[in-house]
Amino acid sequence: MVATVLKLRYRILGNTLARRPWQLVGFCFGILWALSILALVISVLIGVSRLDDLEPVRAVAILGGSALLLGWIVGPLLIAGIDTTVDATKLATFPFTTRQVMAILTATGLTGIPGIATSIAALATLVLWVRSPLAVVVAVPCIALAVLTCVVATRLASALSTGLGGNRRGRELVGTIVLVVIIFAGPLTTGALAALSSAGDIGAQFGRTADVLGWTPFGAAWAVPGDVAAGSYGTAVLKFVIAVATLAVLWVAWRWSLERATVSPPRQATRAVRPGRLGLFGVMPTGGVGATWARSLTGWLRDPRYLRQLVVAPLFPILFAFTGGVDGFMFAASPVMVAFVLCIAGYSDISYDGTAFASVLSSGIRGRHDRWGRILGAACVGVPLTVVIAVVTAVIGGHVSTLAATLGAALGLILVGYGVTAVSSALIVTPVAAPGDSPFKTVPGQTFVSGLLVFVVLAACGVLAAPALIVGGVGMVGRDPAVGLVALAVGLVVGAGVIVVGVLVGGRTLERTGPDLLQRIKAFPTT
Amino acid sequence: MTETPPPPAPAPAAAPALALAGLVKRFDDKVAVAGIDLVVPSGSFYGLVGPNGAGKTTTLSMATGLLRPDAGTAWVHGVDVWADPVAAKMMIGNLADGVRLFDRLTGEQLITYTAMMFSVPREQIAPRVADLLDLMDLRDAAGVIVADYSAGMTKKVALACALVHAPRLLVLDEPFESVDPVSAANIEDVLRSYTATGGTVIVSSHSMDLVQRMCDHVAVIAAGRVLAAGTVDQVRGAQSLQDRFVELVGGRHTSEGPQWLRQS
Repeated sequence: MVATVLKLRYRILGNTLARRPWQLVGFCFGILWALSILALVISVLIGVSRLDDLEPVRAVAILGGSALLLGWIVGPLLIAGIDTTVDATKLATFPFTTRQVMAILTATGLTGIPGIATSIAALATLVLWVRSPLAVVVAVPCIALAVLTCVVATRLASALSTGLGGNRRGRELVGTIVLVVIIFAGPLTTGALAALSSAGDIGAQFGRTADVLGWTPFGAAWAVPGDVAAGSYGTAVLKFVIAVATLAVLWVAWRWSLERATVSPPRQATRAVRPGRLGLFGVMPTGGVGATWARSLTGWLRDPRYLRQLVVAPLFPILFAFTGGVDGFMFAASPVMVAFVLCIAGYSDISYDGTAFASVLSSGIRGRHDRWGRILGAACVGVPLTVVIAVVTAVIGGHVSTLAATLGAALGLILVGYGVTAVSSALIVTPVAAPGDSPFKTVPGQTFVSGLLVFVVLAACGVLAAPALIVGGVGMVGRDPAVGLVALAVGLVVGAGVIVVGVLVGGRTLERTGPDLLQRIKAFPTT
Repeated sequence: MTETPPPPAPAPAAAPALALAGLVKRFDDKVAVAGIDLVVPSGSFYGLVGPNGAGKTTTLSMATGLLRPDAGTAWVHGVDVWADPVAAKMMIGNLADGVRLFDRLTGEQLITYTAMMFSVPREQIAPRVADLLDLMDLRDAAGVIVADYSAGMTKKVALACALVHAPRLLVLDEPFESVDPVSAANIEDVLRSYTATGGTVIVSSHSMDLVQRMCDHVAVIAAGRVLAAGTVDQVRGAQSLQDRFVELVGGRHTSEGPQWLRQS
């Protein structure tokens, strides 16, 4: 039964790759990347195993193992997306027990590319203990335990983050919580690293960190062979118990979340707003611009897929405050970074409509009205956010005199970005998570080329915003308020000009390409 | 396929509600629609029937400006859909099949939004939305987001969106799929009085009984071609529409199903 599902999963992968050559290219690059990382890890392990001192070897095993588990938990959420080729909901119609479903999902996790790479790397750690044959023998079950823990932990994390077993509102809540955790994860990590490095001797710090981690679920399994090699059998037994308990707890928690998923009613009654509560749709003027504006702004304020792009923005000032201090140039320039992120957010805006774009298309509004509506919706969030961040960073950093220059560069860039994306989003659609799905889900059909197009759009924004960026940069470095005002004027004028041209060109383009965009969206594979 | 020159655009005054001439659509190597000509008279209740994969949705998509035809022309009240899409679409109320709605909006917001897209004057929007919610029995669900609707409710709210700007031509792709019989009967009444006052409805459906009861005209489509078209009585002759359809399309086989599926 497990073998059947494994075969099915590779058949799906094969079919996808065979139909989409560019995805095959991306897949090959992925394999090459995994192989090179693997080679690097193995050579480091061999190098470390040659050391005479046992302490650094133990520290490397524990720190590396803990990082591996952390990567398995947050990696899918942050970077790779959750692989939903085979998941519990798709297996639900087959007559499997929960235990069988869990066995299948564990097996598919182990046999994916990350699973295989992890297993090989984990087995390679055996080389660390060549000095102590007993430690090698003990290491084998510990490695199996650690790898299984990785796979089960990632399955549990994805079950929780996609909110299996919850209703729609619950899923969105979990998604929002994960977003908040991600916002704070960056500053916390940098803060912790800063505290660590300021404490002096890095080697001793790593050693101490490893000691602590060895007693936690993250590093326990990896600490056992080291303890055996060092002859402290008592702690080795205790840590082994911790490692086994970790896997057991994760397994039970996962089982609980799956069982909840199967018994919870598929759609619980949701809280309804009082009839007549139209939100923005009652405020905006009637017509194509007003309707699109209201819809777009509602999306920016409520849709996790848009919010995900918004929450990255405040990260920049916080990050630069930690790394360079609030007096640094990067902190002062961080509003420009924010503008940079926000201006590119809508480069394939129609993708987020999904096939609901058909209702835009069948209403036959003019392309330029659609463009204006989307720009107004994005700008109602993006422009105030940029201004607020610029003012706050200027006040905190004590460089209010260059505020005008910063604003000029940032607003110039974001307005130019709106103009450029008005054209690009009439040409480009990319596969994105469907509305209501976890914004962290991997989306099939994303290709190498469509990824490269982002950089083309970014380059266009950079070139067109160059006047505002240059004058603004001069103003920020020279601290001349007069230059700052010029920068602000240049930014607003250039931005407004690019928006007008972008709306006209993009609107005309959209009227031509609309049906083709819809056909391409419909052709995207769905999960 | 022989090249026939497309007929000249009919004069707007006497123009049929929908005229299709030589519509062709290929997807890669597969021909989905292989040259369809159809005339839907103004004020008619027109049924479009055909087996799965016959090209009904593809045809309707091309007729409403959602899918660009490889060849052929579509006119709505004399306006070429692909030459002047904005003018044509203002006259069409479209219920497309197999596409999402903006389902993060509440039902009431979605209908209001659609009315705004068609530039319905602000003071008329609220009364129209209220009427449509009553008509579709969606009053209680007005404040619930459409993603939480059942399949039938979603269909009904999409139908309300198609009606809100009082179009001259309604193009409904599978409008009664998973709609409960009471709602369906209510909607049927409304559509009937709509055609009686000069509006035109074209529906695609799998239900022959429904088409025979509701429609005055019917076209049978299979493998991307029109097999028969005209008034329902012309097409069915002395038979029921169901029997005539099977006769035209073929593929009916009588059997008791495979042995292993039989329970006794």
